Amino acid sequence: MAGVKALTKKQEEVRQLIKAEIPWEPVGPTPMPEIPDLRSWDMRLLKTYKPWYAPFCDLCCLCTYGKCDLTQGRRGACGLDIATQQARIILLACLMGCSAHAGHAGHILEFLIEKHGPDKKIDMGTFIELEAPNIRTVTGLKPETLGDLKTVIEYVYKEITHLLDSTHFGQEGSYLDYESKALHASMLDHVGMEVADIAQIVGFDFPTSVADTPMIDMGWEAVDKSKPVILLVGHNPATSCTLIDYLRENKLYDKVEVAGICCTALETTRYSDRAKIVGPLSRQLFFIRSGIADVIMTDEQCIRTDMPIEADKVGSRVIACLDKAMYGLEDATDWDTEEIVKQMVEDKKHFAILDPEKAAEVAAQVALKISPRRKKEWISDEEAKELAGKCTQCDMCERVCPNLLGLGKAMKDISEGNFDEPQKLFNKCIGCGKCDQECPQHIPILRVMQVVASKETWRIRAGRGAIMDTEIRNVGAPITLGTIPGVIAFVGCSNYPDIDDVADMVYEFAKRKYIVVLTGCAAMVAGMKKFEEGKTVYELFPPDFDAGGVVNVGSCVSNAHITGAAIKIANIFAALPLRANYEVMADYVLNRVGACGVAWGAMSQKAASIGTGCNRLGIPVLLGPHSSKYRRLYLSRKEDDDWRVMDARKREIMDTGEPSPEHIAYVAETKEKAMVMIPKLCIRKNDTPQGRSIKLNHYISLYKKYMGGGLPEDLHLFVRRDADIPLVYKKEVRVYLKEIGWQPKEPVGLPTFIGTYPTKVPLDAVIH
Amino acid sequence: MVIPFHRVNVLTGIKSARLIEDASEYANLIQKAKRPLLVLGPLLSEWSLDGKLLIEYTLEIAKIANIPICATDIVKRKMVELGTKPDSVYDAVEIVNALKDPDWRGVKKEGNHDLVIFFGIRSDLEEQCLSVLKHFAFTHLKTMTLDKYYFPHANYSLPNFRKDKQWKAFLESLIDELKKGE
Repeated sequence: MAGVKALTKKQEEVRQLIKAEIPWEPVGPTPMPEIPDLRSWDMRLLKTYKPWYAPFCDLCCLCTYGKCDLTQGRRGACGLDIATQQARIILLACLMGCSAHAGHAGHILEFLIEKHGPDKKIDMGTFIELEAPNIRTVTGLKPETLGDLKTVIEYVYKEITHLLDSTHFGQEGSYLDYESKALHASMLDHVGMEVADIAQIVGFDFPTSVADTPMIDMGWEAVDKSKPVILLVGHNPATSCTLIDYLRENKLYDKVEVAGICCTALETTRYSDRAKIVGPLSRQLFFIRSGIADVIMTDEQCIRTDMPIEADKVGSRVIACLDKAMYGLEDATDWDTEEIVKQMVEDKKHFAILDPEKAAEVAAQVALKISPRRKKEWISDEEAKELAGKCTQCDMCERVCPNLLGLGKAMKDISEGNFDEPQKLFNKCIGCGKCDQECPQHIPILRVMQVVASKETWRIRAGRGAIMDTEIRNVGAPITLGTIPGVIAFVGCSNYPDIDDVADMVYEFAKRKYIVVLTGCAAMVAGMKKFEEGKTVYELFPPDFDAGGVVNVGSCVSNAHITGAAIKIANIFAALPLRANYEVMADYVLNRVGACGVAWGAMSQKAASIGTGCNRLGIPVLLGPHSSKYRRLYLSRKEDDDWRVMDARKREIMDTGEPSPEHIAYVAETKEKAMVMIPKLCIRKNDTPQGRSIKLNHYISLYKKYMGGGLPEDLHLFVRRDADIPLVYKKEVRVYLKEIGWQPKEPVGLPTFIGTYPTKVPLDAVIH
Repeated sequence: MVIPFHRVNVLTGIKSARLIEDASEYANLIQKAKRPLLVLGPLLSEWSLDGKLLIEYTLEIAKIANIPICATDIVKRKMVELGTKPDSVYDAVEIVNALKDPDWRGVKKEGNHDLVIFFGIRSDLEEQCLSVLKHFAFTHLKTMTLDKYYFPHANYSLPNFRKDKQWKAFLESLIDELKKGE
């Protein structure tokens, strides 16, 4: 009885936290879910989409019993096997990612509550009433103030602790349960991201309820080098927004150039459209080594850990603005500003300054003082040729290159004055600088590559935050019926096989009237290629969340608005209650919303949790080739797996034989193959014949374009009836289907997993 | 310990591939296999040795030794151009996903394969695919590579050939050896 009482008390506490008495919707079955609460949903997902593990390492080295050999069925001293070890590593990666965003959210909330008070109202503008779809769905709380967001982030912190606990020696022993925990951590990541971005939008007055945000200049050539340059690197806009406030208040904004790299660039340009975007993470070291930045202000996530060392090489000064990355620097937060400025200018010192206002003042003063002495220039053709001429073709650079690039050949070409091929190679460079440190001739390879770096500038639309409720009302029906063939979200880091890939894919699918949304580094690189009339995809396509639109949602934390848009379709369009009703939302998205994430350059742990969070919500994610190094995918086997679903209208389980979506975490090797896979991953069982025919039209035509003709080998699995066959391929497809003995299948009226596995959710809950 | 050419593929572990430089030994292993499979990657359409595309060498090997082909990624396009068709089309991660199941029927529906020969997939992805099979298919199949570099997670691998001509000589010799067993 004691156990029952304790549980009741706990439930009461949760109901208090989520203000259950406010009846905006009935409270669903899983308010503020804990580890086991959505486990049955995870197990259902993992039944079809089984984990695929590619261990990096044969061993476990995490405790002093080890190293333990886990090859060929062996278990470690604790009893763990190789699959469970992989799942544990994946959980750790997802926790790192979730913590990074939750930490960001917690910090920004603290900063903004200090500034505006906890009662600051959350107002997302005229066209957004459903302000926090992830938070409402997961926790059951409708946040009305910044203070409410604090309640949410404290819930996330608590769950992170329990999840991290489970990775300790001698606990979880099932890879499936570790996967369930990874899915839990990653769902929480989307909650944390949503907290961060709502707080930022409200606290910094970022754009909201608007599609047509300003166009921003991008590229290193967009940076006005004649002015003092302050470079912001990282993710947290407390630093950059405070800097811009300082410059404005002191009438210095005309005199100082503010530029950003990585997500902080996107955040900064949501605050001021005069700031410049240098580019994605892959351009960080390259730009820093140019020496153009007089002062570098770092905050958190995806910043180089050797920033002070690199800055020293070119005479830039570093201010570490957040406690997450202090580089061993002296903490000058409480020092007198003049003294800090003096030491940075005269002694070339770097400091940690954790007060954003002081950091802003110091950065501006130092940049103004040292910029006249800046002598860094791009390398000349002659200097590059001379340096490249020292190359002995030893291949050491190629051996250490994460993108496997043939840099020796590029050095030879450059030394001979042939820049065309090296220019193409530069587009594939992820900018890590490992080649430099390996070169026995000490050739500064990254600097030599300046000679082939593009001097172009581009235009990118500023991040616009959440998708508007009004937009969802317009597109909900065509998306779920399939007449808008899909929503494709390009997200994640810049570990690309080729930097042009993302722009090419965005162009292809926007032309085909898919809705394309973007965040983070992917949003930047999509704009780094010009198409017809010298325009980028942001200039060619409308900014609306509608067929053929190209929507820059914002930074990494804005990824929550992408999952949020999927939830909004279920709630606003299909009128399914979302409050503490995660399982129903996820089931709807998986079975009825033709959405697909593309994390083509995914590299970080944050990308792991963002993607895995999409997976739990039923959104498949296609990854680039590097991502096999995450060690885990979720794949089905289309011919052999169980594709039964419940038809909620008929209340019958139906064997569809249709693998839609076929995988939920998948790696493609080339852009061409990704182009073929993406339309397939947007197919859903509830597509109308018209919608299916449109989707198959894209699948077939892209297959013909990139696979050399013919029809997809698995086409028959996606044709239910003759009406599904696209008109233009009718004859060819009919012949093929006849050849293989295809038989028509009954379409499913209302497909759902609910009713096919043990769950507390009643079948009626998915009927709208 | 052999260090692979691409350092991202350095082995952290103890079970590494047997390095084989003798084409006749490779030929023997292939000929002994009951149900071998060639898994081909898109780089075969880009790489060439003295003007001959690597995929042409591979198709010759497949034909002589009667090995079915799984075309990954966009390999099918080049095969069709060259007037042939693959026995199956899967992506690298998909074919590996099937191969690790001992009860899978194989591309010919005759049973799972006992020797899987990888060739032409970008090296970090290929090494990860080999890792899947090393850890989860060790009871029922062996893996082999024909790429220019050493792959630690395979069962049998070529060395890091410094010169293309060494690689070419190996492939030509392998073809000759396989012809002897026809």
